[in-house]
Amino acid sequence: MVRSTFIILFFVVSLGASSFEKNCLECHQNEFQLAMFMKKYALKYSSERSIKEALYSYLKKPTYNASILPFGYLNRFGIKEKSSLDDAELKKMINIYYDKYNIKSKIY
Amino acid sequence: MYKSEQRTIFNVLALYLSSNLLLIATIFASYYYYQNEQLILNEKNILKKYTTELEDALLNVHQSSNDKYKYPRFENFKSAIYDIDKNLIFSTLDVQPPNIDQEFFIIEGNSYAVSPIKPYYLSAAYLVTQKETQTLNISNDFVAIAILIVLITIFTSFFLVKLVLKPLRENLHLLDNFIKDTTHELNTPITTILANIETLDTYNFDEKSLKKFQRIKIASQNISNLYQDLVYLLLNHKVSSTNEQLNISSILYERVQYFTLMANAKKLSFDLKIQKDVMFYADKQKIERIIDNIFSNAIKYSKKSTTIQVILEDSMLSIIDEGKGMTQNEIKNIYEKYRRFDNVQGGFGIGYSIIKSIADEYEITIHISSEVNKGTKVILKW
Repeated sequence: MVRSTFIILFFVVSLGASSFEKNCLECHQNEFQLAMFMKKYALKYSSERSIKEALYSYLKKPTYNASILPFGYLNRFGIKEKSSLDDAELKKMINIYYDKYNIKSKIY
Repeated sequence: MYKSEQRTIFNVLALYLSSNLLLIATIFASYYYYQNEQLILNEKNILKKYTTELEDALLNVHQSSNDKYKYPRFENFKSAIYDIDKNLIFSTLDVQPPNIDQEFFIIEGNSYAVSPIKPYYLSAAYLVTQKETQTLNISNDFVAIAILIVLITIFTSFFLVKLVLKPLRENLHLLDNFIKDTTHELNTPITTILANIETLDTYNFDEKSLKKFQRIKIASQNISNLYQDLVYLLLNHKVSSTNEQLNISSILYERVQYFTLMANAKKLSFDLKIQKDVMFYADKQKIERIIDNIFSNAIKYSKKSTTIQVILEDSMLSIIDEGKGMTQNEIKNIYEKYRRFDNVQGGFGIGYSIIKSIADEYEITIHISSEVNKGTKVILKW
């Protein structure tokens, strides 16, 4: 019983992780970059709820004003394209991203 | 010092003291609130300084490129950070506050300050700093000042009352001295009058002269009673009692005999129920003073053609008249010296004061019951 539960859990996590790799890490290969984004989101939005809301809103409709990146950076690389993921998948990716990179879990 | 004077001093002292204590309490309460406000203000200022320190430290940690963030810790204060939704992010506080809605609060001897910050370094939207609350130790000062003020109040009020009562005291002294002088001067003429009345031969008197003579005799008996009272007052506690076994029954018959003439003038009759040979160990003159004063009052205040009942039992004497009676308030104040309830009748208002003084000496209890316009009942028990 314990063994089968562990296998199912491992499978689900691996599946989630692999979809995050496919949907996010394909472009954002640099983990440092993702951590930096999270710091910037934390600096601007503070709580888990508001960070997730801001991320969702930006990924659904990216604008210069909504971006947390510096103006010079945006000037050079522009803003990203609108996410093609459906709402459920997008929210799932945001949750994975938050769980992996949030500031709170890194404070000691 | 007179009893009334003592009572006045006590009343004024109590009033003065209570009003002063009220004033002191008000001043102290204001002082306490002021000090408390100052303390809170001071605590806020210190915590504000700590908040700035924490904010700077958070900025440095946030800007570091490390994978993990070491939360800043300080020796002189503790802290916590909350996100914009007031969820705890990290804390080094001793006690977690139930909420951070107030800017400043005190829990279990610790002061807390809540300050919003922006931008949100390490996601922190609110900084909470905690330090040990300073104690407000002014109770010793309170007690010392209160005792000092109370002592000063007692001292000043005592002299103030004495100063205010000085004219009254002088008047009472004057009255006392007047009575003493009068008594001294009355001795010879009263003795002469009484001696001559007793030796007068009334057989040769016609009816008209006999009536006049009886009036003179009653008047001189009145004067004699008054004189005896004044002598008692004058020599009060200066003459030792010559106690002996007294036959109260015989003394009562004697005194009734003595007052008969006076009673006849108002057409009063005595109803005597005197038990034989009731004995009591006391000074004869003093017991006569008690009986004379009660009889004198009974006759003086009785309505015409009524009866005075005199009942003597083993250890109880009751004298009941059908006079004008007294109110409860008058009975309460009857033993006060110079207290008089009726200005029509003569007297100094010293009768019951003397009765009380002698009764106390021989442990005789006095019970007076009276009803206005019906009469008075005086019961002596020993």
